[in-house]
Amino acid sequence: MDRLRTGREVVVAGVGLHPFGRFPEKDLATLAVDAVVPALNDAGVRWKDIPIAYFGHVYYHGMSVGETALGKLGLTGVPIINVENACSSGSTAFWQAYWGISSGLYDLALAFGAEKVPRGPVTVTAEDSPDRYIGGDHMMAGYALRMRRYMEDTGASASSLAQVAVKARQNASLNPFAHRNTAYTLEEVLESRLIADPLTLYQCCPTSEGAAAAVLCARDSLGRYGIDEPRAVTVASATLSSGSYNGRGSDHSAFSPYRTEPGALQAYEMAGLGPEDVDLVQVHDAATIGELQQLESLHLVPFGEAWKATEDGRTALTGDIPTNTDGGLLAMGHPFGATGVRMVHETATQLRGEAGPRQVKGARVGLAQCSGAGDVTTVIILSK
Amino acid sequence: MPESVDPQRLRLTGEASAHGVLLGFRCLDCGVTVFGPCAFCQSCTSDQLEPVELSSTGVLYSFTVVRVPPAGWPGPVPYVLGQVELPDGPQVLAEVIECDHDQINIGMPVELTLQLVPSESGGQDKFVYKWRPARI
Repeated sequence: MDRLRTGREVVVAGVGLHPFGRFPEKDLATLAVDAVVPALNDAGVRWKDIPIAYFGHVYYHGMSVGETALGKLGLTGVPIINVENACSSGSTAFWQAYWGISSGLYDLALAFGAEKVPRGPVTVTAEDSPDRYIGGDHMMAGYALRMRRYMEDTGASASSLAQVAVKARQNASLNPFAHRNTAYTLEEVLESRLIADPLTLYQCCPTSEGAAAAVLCARDSLGRYGIDEPRAVTVASATLSSGSYNGRGSDHSAFSPYRTEPGALQAYEMAGLGPEDVDLVQVHDAATIGELQQLESLHLVPFGEAWKATEDGRTALTGDIPTNTDGGLLAMGHPFGATGVRMVHETATQLRGEAGPRQVKGARVGLAQCSGAGDVTTVIILSK
Repeated sequence: MPESVDPQRLRLTGEASAHGVLLGFRCLDCGVTVFGPCAFCQSCTSDQLEPVELSSTGVLYSFTVVRVPPAGWPGPVPYVLGQVELPDGPQVLAEVIECDHDQINIGMPVELTLQLVPSESGGQDKFVYKWRPARI
């Protein structure tokens, strides 16, 4: 990948989160606003000071929903961009906000995401696509194909994989914002019903509703907006990539477990940091196998060994690679547009030392990685 | 008259149209073969492509038994989804039929077969490409 030219230093000045779960009484715009207002308050900035906003969401709730949501806060005339980039929609919105400031166009920006994902298996193609007849358009079946092959290639067992879900639930039991926040035993994960074998229900993320928001600011402009500098978290890098040819095929997820690697290497270079500097990580664990393969793609563990790292407790809150510290997609749930910004929320909260019972002690560098259909991958590194 | 589920991926052959061949393109510049329609090479972006007929046999790279189907799935539940590696290079995802769900394994040889699938929306029935254990 090309080397990225970085511009002004950008910080996360404030974050906000609406709990993830099911909220039939709230429409998408209301959910979104209920994350944006806490983020503005956290940053200590007023809505009328925001000059640009980016909104990640996937499912259709009418045109220009970002404008509908933010219009509730007052019609200030700011440009609002609606972003659809599959499961990375929220992190793409964040990426755009970052580059908007870094490039010098804006001093302040809002990135937010919200989603109300329908129940049932997630599909990627249009309703009249031949793939619906062929039977391959099924996100969790794609993960199941990857999982079986991974087990064959690495010697990981079903219980190694299930351990990822047990760890996610343990972390989520310390997080009141999670969709699923009760702990599970290994047996409960393995004995939950099969969705697409060897993937059991509790190894698949819930489809959820929720929202998350982040206010970004140029470091050189913090004083002008009265933002508290000691709580600001530096955005050390933000990269976005799509699929590159892998020699196998053009179908989605099943063929592309390791496409995060180029974006990750680019993010490390941009930040001047390496995998050894990362104190905690949020990765795209839509299924248990996803977490393992992403940790390997990010070079946090050697290829084929993330299952061992998990069994050894290295990815737990007390390990040396604390992973998905808020419960991840597996326990937080996965409202597509919100997920990437939720990862930023958790990373910033940890780096500020404000994560309460799930705080990773002394965390100074955190990485957040999202991936979605089209092999849309984002890697964001924050530092304190 | 039933049609191919996707004429750019599967060409029906023979009078009864119960036989067919998978279609793809080979890049004259870099030699990569891809499954399905393509105007530019997926690997090197060249437009120097020649249409090719792909092998009707391959081996299972991975598989899963889908217990909860996606919306619009017109077939039986559970069904086996196979990720099949062709000798030409590309992989092709499709249902694996005529097999015992407990007797499938990675590396198993499979062969192409067609199945007539009724339309879910009352339109035309379609021939869909499937895999089955090789009978050689």
